[in-house]
Amino acid sequence: MKIAVCAKQIPDPALEITYNGGNINRPDEQVLDDTDRYGIEVALQLKEKFDAEVTVISMGSLGTEKGIQQALQMGPDGALVLEDDSLSGSNSLMTANVLSELSKKVEADITIFGTESTDGYSGVIPQQVSRMLGVPCISYIKAVDIDESVTLTRQTSTGSEKVVMPSNCVLSVTAGGVEPRYPNFKDIMAAKSKPIERISIADISYNAQQNLEFVDIKDVSTTKQGEKIIDEGEGFQIIIDKLKELKAI
Amino acid sequence: MKTLIIGEVVDNKLSTGALEIVTKANDLGLDYEIVTVGTEESPNIGSESFKNTYMKCSENKLSLGSVADKLKNIIEENTISLVLAPSTYVGRDLIAFLSVDFKSSQVSNVINFEIEGESVITSNSINGGESEYNSKISSPNKFLLIRPKSFEEAALDLNTNYETVEITSEDPEVFDIFIEEKTGPQLEDSKIVISAGRGMVDSANLSLVQDLASKLNAAIGGTRAIVDAGWMPYSQQVGQTGKTVKPDVYIALGISGATQHQVGMKDSKYIIAVNKDEEAPIFQIADLGLVADTLSIVPKITENL
Repeated sequence: MKIAVCAKQIPDPALEITYNGGNINRPDEQVLDDTDRYGIEVALQLKEKFDAEVTVISMGSLGTEKGIQQALQMGPDGALVLEDDSLSGSNSLMTANVLSELSKKVEADITIFGTESTDGYSGVIPQQVSRMLGVPCISYIKAVDIDESVTLTRQTSTGSEKVVMPSNCVLSVTAGGVEPRYPNFKDIMAAKSKPIERISIADISYNAQQNLEFVDIKDVSTTKQGEKIIDEGEGFQIIIDKLKELKAI
Repeated sequence: MKTLIIGEVVDNKLSTGALEIVTKANDLGLDYEIVTVGTEESPNIGSESFKNTYMKCSENKLSLGSVADKLKNIIEENTISLVLAPSTYVGRDLIAFLSVDFKSSQVSNVINFEIEGESVITSNSINGGESEYNSKISSPNKFLLIRPKSFEEAALDLNTNYETVEITSEDPEVFDIFIEEKTGPQLEDSKIVISAGRGMVDSANLSLVQDLASKLNAAIGGTRAIVDAGWMPYSQQVGQTGKTVKPDVYIALGISGATQHQVGMKDSKYIIAVNKDEEAPIFQIADLGLVADTLSIVPKITENL
């Protein structure tokens, strides 16, 4: 079994996202999107059971590759990454085009994603990749049971449902679906010698087009003249009085 | 502009998300039809005011890929250029599939849109709602995922007047379907919502929130951080990737107020925030902010109500 697992490098999520001409500003040092840790964990559990080969796939500005290293530290075998200046400001479809090609390059049976990135939030890339690859997409996975076959539990709007993992498919894993492992010192050192193959856009079949045009970013902030009170023992009463005033009680 | 709205069956009727988009489509005078996806027998999804096609799926199949194939035909046959879907699990899957088929990237998380000639201008909310990011789609086919509660729900008399298309497919089998029991006030329509964040320290302390919510007849929500930590099911997550709520009163307990959370609650009519950290961003959007130890104040409110 061969598995491709997507890892996105994002700006430090603790800092506010800033934009330049409609594109997110990306510092040289970006980190692994925590959302991807869940997908990587699923890939590694499959690796342990089925002796699968797990390759991290990633696109975008690579910079120091810190986020790629963080992904490798968890336990994948290597990485295949693509960086190209022309991909700056890619729409979802362009991104999915590149990632589906990377999945093909590593001949992945299973391609795994988080459900949506923390900086872009488009929430459609796994499904788009599955359509491009012509395989089913098992989206919003919230639990994984690995036995001789693999049973995936999907989050639905009303509850959940189960699906047996097909031999060729794309998975998207929700945060909280599995418990991502923490690398130890040995894992961190071992990651440094794992192979990272770097390719360019000329190495893949790329035909997506930009159909979205950035118009502007408008400030719509309304400074609220709210009250801020420091509790000196009667804070609970202030809230109760307010709830009464609002006729909430 | 010829438009298709993708709806779902929820509680045996047309989803609120679709009815919200109907309002906007009427405002813009769009020439629209609806396709509704579901598994129920004869749900109330029809109306005198629009054409609806019901794509009835088997609940034992993961059939959205096949639904997308049918939608593709409808879009081509009826020369539809604008496709709108609420940003739900089903909507996201379908819009993603169609965007690939028509080689036209979708715009996600749209909170408003306008028609400009043959183009569509979309607005997204960024930086916790402080800014709007506007884009223009000029490709012949345009796909939009609309955030819930962006428009008022259209008030319509729904009936069973529509055409049904049975979806049969070779898609993967689905089993062990579990329907979460809905008890008490629901996040989407409750007048009061109480949400908890990391400041509640431990999942055991959520019983304090529960007690207060019972007294106020409020729905309970949570931040992504505590949902990820397993304190609450995903269905109770409020924020960018969770639900959007607009109650009369929103009470944020131990929530710092990351922009991703704010997107899901900032339009509440009145926001009360309790947090130990005086600098917490939630205070910037709160109407009433109380700098206090959340754990000790919540039981005091409950006792004295």
